[in-house]
Amino acid sequence: MPSGFPPDRRWGLRAVQAAVLVAFLASWEAASRLRWLDPFFFSRPSSVAERVARWFATGEVYGHISVTALETLLAFLAGSLLGVVVGFAFAMSPALSRVFDPYVKVANAMPRIVLAPIFTLWFGLGVLSKVAFGVTLVFFVVFFNTYQGVREVDRNVLNNARMLGASDRDLVRHVLLPSALVWILSSLHTSVGLALVGAVVGEYLGSARGLGYLIQQAEALFDTTGVFAGLVVLAGFVLAVDLLVSFVERRLLRWKPPSHVEEVV
Amino acid sequence: MKLASPPGTCAVRLRGCRRSFRTPDGGVYVALDGVDLEVRAGEFVALVGPTGCGKSTLLNLVAGLLQPDAGQVEVFGAPLEGVNRRAAYLFQQDVLLPWKTAEENVMLGLVFRRLPREEARRQARAWLDRVGLRGFENRYPHQLSGGMRKRVALAQNLIVNPEILLMDEPFAALDVQTRQLMENDLLRIWQEERKTVLFVTHDLEEAIALSDRVVVLSAGPAARPVGEFPVDLPRPRDVTEVRLDPAFGELFRRIWELLRGEVLRAFRISA
Repeated sequence: MPSGFPPDRRWGLRAVQAAVLVAFLASWEAASRLRWLDPFFFSRPSSVAERVARWFATGEVYGHISVTALETLLAFLAGSLLGVVVGFAFAMSPALSRVFDPYVKVANAMPRIVLAPIFTLWFGLGVLSKVAFGVTLVFFVVFFNTYQGVREVDRNVLNNARMLGASDRDLVRHVLLPSALVWILSSLHTSVGLALVGAVVGEYLGSARGLGYLIQQAEALFDTTGVFAGLVVLAGFVLAVDLLVSFVERRLLRWKPPSHVEEVV
Repeated sequence: MKLASPPGTCAVRLRGCRRSFRTPDGGVYVALDGVDLEVRAGEFVALVGPTGCGKSTLLNLVAGLLQPDAGQVEVFGAPLEGVNRRAAYLFQQDVLLPWKTAEENVMLGLVFRRLPREEARRQARAWLDRVGLRGFENRYPHQLSGGMRKRVALAQNLIVNPEILLMDEPFAALDVQTRQLMENDLLRIWQEERKTVLFVTHDLEEAIALSDRVVVLSAGPAARPVGEFPVDLPRPRDVTEVRLDPAFGELFRRIWELLRGEVLRAFRISA
């Protein structure tokens, strides 16, 4: 990632980044204590930290985190699987893609949030409705990348494999699928992120558990501190997921030229 | 010296082949027309011609990747249907799979033939060794130089033990030194294996240095062979030294006389 900081000054960069956070929190705390900001609407960092610490101390937050994590994981897996299968079918069959093209375009352009009430009706308030919601978000990213990945395979690479004796199944397994996988992996951050968005927004709109529910409950009680505490926990969760994705990505894209890996990470 | 097939038999025969393509503006471009060509088993034939004369198209016909509109392609006396299973094809472009290591790329053809993994791996190592890449088995293509990638591709093609080797300007993208090393390696391996080789190039010196016979293709459209010249330079050859042979210069002059006319014609058509 190009930045004004050369590698040996990275710690300098980290220090500046930390200073920005500290300055922001300090002025928020001060403004709240001096009553420039109304604590009822804006809370203050110390109260938020205290709340977060209490949630973890009592252990009540773990259930919410694990529910959101489960929904995210299921939405990601189901959405990806569906996206790969349909993307592959469309790429291999021009007729299929021509027929369904307008429907795919409309479905993708539609703001998915309007589906949330329908899914709640169909799948109830539990995990399933959030997963379904997340799938509608993840599916299109993976679908388009699979489609593109399969279509963009170099003709010469395909012909080479064919000359070496590859059957149609060999071509799928050794050339087309890996090629699509490259595209899918390059959008891993986006698709995992969308699965998480699906889970949290779904919880926010109607549920009995999860981080989205936690924030929504606090909001309903005009508990600003609770809302911010929920956001802090969510931010930590997102960061952890993102680090995990980066790790997986580095492992799977080991064969790539380094410049490219850096670009993706 | 083992022979891939009995000498004197005809490995590849094209009879009156014609192939056209649809142009983007709806017209039809005839790339090849009336192509007659014979390549004997174990023979090294170089195909030269001006750019865009359909050399690659001709190679694709022999590979079975394209079908002729008219005429027939015969491989060892039998009409060719579908992909040519007795041929391997070394492409001009980089066609290694970037997500597989050198070794995994080389063993691909054996994996497709359902050989046990361990046996395929063993043979792949032996072939990498033969093309001078011992110790590079676990490198990915992007970690290899252009010349090394070509060596991997060569091993990838030879491991399936093809009777016919089709080569489409395989060394065009390499620098001169690497190229001459590769050419010498190719000659050494060909000398040992005696494959039938059909080698496309637009470099006349390369064509003469490597082959038993140079076939000149006319400028397109409707290109066809317009001349052939046996190369009776002694073997084994060194591609650098053979160029100093007076017979080489004489042959070059004779072929160039014909080729130059075609190159100029191609230039005028495209200009």
